[in-house]
Amino acid sequence: MKPRYQNRIELLQGTLDLLILQTLRWGPRHGYGISQAIRANSGEILQVDTGSLYPALHRLERQKWIRAEWKLSENNQRVKLYQLTPSGKKQLASERSRWEQLQEAIGGILNPSAKESET
Amino acid sequence: MKFLFWRNRRQRQDELDEEIQRHLEMAARDRMDRGEDASVAKAAAHREFGNAALVREVTHDQWGWAWLENLFQDLHFGLRILRKSPGFTIVAVLTLALGIGANTAIFSFVYGVLLAPLPYRDASQLVVLNETTPRVGNVSTSYPNFLDWRVQSRSFAQIAYIEQMSFNLAGAGVSQPENINGDSVSPNFLSMMGIRPFLGRDFEPSEEKAGSPRVLLLSYPLWQSHFGADPNVVGRTITLNGNDFVIIGVLPPDYRSLDNNSVMLPIGVWATNNPSAASREDRGDSTVIGRLRPGVALVQARAEIEGIAAGLAQQYPAANDQFGIRLRPIRDAFVGNLQTEILVLFTAVMFVLLIACANVANLLLVRGAARTKEMALRAAFGASRLRIMRQMLTESFVLAVLGGALGLALALAGTRVLTRLIPQGTLVGASIGLNGSVLLFTAGVVVLATLVFGMAPAAHWTKRDVQAELKEGGRTASIGSAHNRLRGILTITEISLALVLLVGAGLMLKSLYRLINVNPGFQPERVLTMDMYLSSERYSKDPAVLNFWQQVLDGVRALPGVESAALGTNLPLTGNHSRTDITIEGMALPKPGSFPHPDVHTISPDYIRTMGMTLERGRTFTDADDEHAPLVALVNDKLARQFWPNADPIGKRFMWGPFDPASKNPVKWVTVVGVVDDTKLYGLANPSRLEVYDPFRQDIYHDMDLVLKSRLDSSALTSEIRSVVASIDKDEPIFAIATMNKLVSNDVSAPRLALVLLGVFSALAVVLAAIGIYGVVSYSVAQRTHEIGVRMTLGAQPRDILRMILGQGGKMAAIGIGVGIGAAFALTGLMSTLLFSVGASDPATFAAVAILLVLVAIFACYIPARRAMRVDPMVALRYE
Repeated sequence: MKPRYQNRIELLQGTLDLLILQTLRWGPRHGYGISQAIRANSGEILQVDTGSLYPALHRLERQKWIRAEWKLSENNQRVKLYQLTPSGKKQLASERSRWEQLQEAIGGILNPSAKESET
Repeated sequence: MKFLFWRNRRQRQDELDEEIQRHLEMAARDRMDRGEDASVAKAAAHREFGNAALVREVTHDQWGWAWLENLFQDLHFGLRILRKSPGFTIVAVLTLALGIGANTAIFSFVYGVLLAPLPYRDASQLVVLNETTPRVGNVSTSYPNFLDWRVQSRSFAQIAYIEQMSFNLAGAGVSQPENINGDSVSPNFLSMMGIRPFLGRDFEPSEEKAGSPRVLLLSYPLWQSHFGADPNVVGRTITLNGNDFVIIGVLPPDYRSLDNNSVMLPIGVWATNNPSAASREDRGDSTVIGRLRPGVALVQARAEIEGIAAGLAQQYPAANDQFGIRLRPIRDAFVGNLQTEILVLFTAVMFVLLIACANVANLLLVRGAARTKEMALRAAFGASRLRIMRQMLTESFVLAVLGGALGLALALAGTRVLTRLIPQGTLVGASIGLNGSVLLFTAGVVVLATLVFGMAPAAHWTKRDVQAELKEGGRTASIGSAHNRLRGILTITEISLALVLLVGAGLMLKSLYRLINVNPGFQPERVLTMDMYLSSERYSKDPAVLNFWQQVLDGVRALPGVESAALGTNLPLTGNHSRTDITIEGMALPKPGSFPHPDVHTISPDYIRTMGMTLERGRTFTDADDEHAPLVALVNDKLARQFWPNADPIGKRFMWGPFDPASKNPVKWVTVVGVVDDTKLYGLANPSRLEVYDPFRQDIYHDMDLVLKSRLDSSALTSEIRSVVASIDKDEPIFAIATMNKLVSNDVSAPRLALVLLGVFSALAVVLAAIGIYGVVSYSVAQRTHEIGVRMTLGAQPRDILRMILGQGGKMAAIGIGVGIGAAFALTGLMSTLLFSVGASDPATFAAVAILLVLVAIFACYIPARRAMRVDPMVALRYE
């Protein structure tokens, strides 16, 4: 069976964008670096598919939330570095608050008792 | 701009490749840092990354415009692939070109005749009205009846009367006198149709009254041909029937009339000193056109007008008893009887296209088999299923576009040939050609054809299991039973469609054969006819008319090579006719609208002999049957049998017109002196009617046809006759010159054309179906070479192999023929109105066509079967 990348993009879209934007808050990174950071920061739990990562990067770039630049790496190779733009920062903030709302909402559903006890 | 776009794309692609490359390198280096071996690390990095081609493609899609780029890529690739297999490409493109070309050609007729907007304002509100009577069917409308409709009806915003006339055009500036057609119209006619004169003015309401001055509008072509397109033509005069008419304007170039007319004048000019204008019985040669009030439906108008007809029948029984009114959209008046023919032909070409598509789909499937490995490889290298399917459909589209382009060229030539084959006047001014709408249709057909023939193979070859195909090396993998079943179904479809077409052509063939073997009641060979019309003041007195006709007869008879010459009116198959009531002596008087109503021909003595008609009893006319002699007549066999079934008709008497007991005038009896054979006056396919012939000296006509029998070439003869007539009266034109054979041939031209086209289309269909059978069978023989070898090694005789292969084709043919016969039974009913004395489900035709197709199928199988018989078992076994 062939992997169905396109389905996964749809599934992860919002979340992956958030993760990428968040990762870029700490400075410019290349694609590989982003995937490694997400992996490390999630305690090796989240492994981002390259088939999702690169389309997401190119899409975010088209939406002008991130900007790409070719720079020389430490071993003198050209690498493509992505960095947040000002509008990307705003997008990150709004995605973040959306995520928190979602989390809260899902939490409410998963733990109905907690909510009831408050009322 | 475009260049920049592409450069930018190329750069971005390179950058993406570099980005991915860097990713892989960095991943591998990290692994090596963790102590992995270089080659292991590299492989692991690749594995972890996944399918790079697919990542590239889905990333690519984020850039926008990806679909366009993919399309260009596919087109480019498709063209390259097609160039690499020119044989396949040529066959497929030619097949499609035939199908699409035939469709385009026939559609240009469908459009020109049935769909093209008529050049009138709000043409959907325009209706054509005429009177009808059970005795003869549709007839024209008398002017007094029209005037009553106009007063009484509420359904029409406007209504106009159009009287068809013909004129002799002679006088100053005309080198040779000629006869032209014209319309006399109610003054509101042009404004009702939404037409403005190209030059000059429209008619005025006052020009409806009898006695109004002689004015007219020229048609655009006449203005060009006879007045050199003079912009100051208004105010000049033209001489028609010896009278000067003042030109008040020119009709627009796109004016389209129901009859091909050259001048238009106000109805008041026609009504001047014209007893027909006041006669309710005289239904002449007219059309009534009305414009429905907004919101009035055709059925409402019809109901109202039927009530008016009933009222007029009661009020004027002598003229209107049994007469009704027919209403139809103006489009119907233009389309006439062509609708069925065109739709049958359109169905036929659709079938041809479907067969062509099935054939190309078959070819694609065979080719797909050869490309299995390519497809599997592309899938393995990460092309998504959708992408491969798109690629295959694009290839199909390229084929269809090439086929469509070639088809357009074929259609261009085809429509030219067709418009020449169609007898003049059949299409009443419809413009047939490859206009925008037709091109749009062709584009639609191309897209549709792509889907029809490209979809099945594309779906079929993309749902396959990639790994299995790679493993099996793409050779044996294609021998799927699903694949062969699909090809079998396609071939069966072709056979059944071809059968339906063949049945249609067969029925037309039989029908035409019966039609041309109908006895017309005369012998058309070597008979030349022409029309003359004595219209000027010179011929206002009877002796002058008779003197002219006698001089023409004497002059023409004296020409060397003329065996016999005669005058007659309303020749068979010319569309001219004149009918009148008669009262048979001693008959029980019928109701006013139910008197015997024969066709009347006024003839000179030699007419019966010249036309090669049979005199069954009595005598024909002689020179002694003149204006001073007792009134005499000939009747046809049908009339004699109907009214004097048990008596000798010779010596029996009748009177012209319905007998009126109140009349004080003495009855003028006409004595029957002979009985002649029935003629097919209204066409070979139509039944003969009652006919009466009277001597031209006893019934003066200004408009008569000259008929002559001669061995001479008709054009040489015509110019001699022209000089004979010119020596009598230099202003008298001769016109409507035709041989009787030509008139007969014109009469069967419509069914003949339908037969030719159906014949061509069905021949095309049979050839394509045969190719289909041949293709499927020979492909399966190629696939089964190994199996056949095994069978032969185990003792099968060539005979058994032959039977096996023929059996395969035979099965497809049998199913196809069965399905086709069912479909043909359901469909040929549509063409029953085109058939003459052949049933739409004529068993003999069905059987003959089925047998023909069986023979074709056997022939198509025989070639591959022979190849199978000659299989060398040793070679076949080594083949694997």
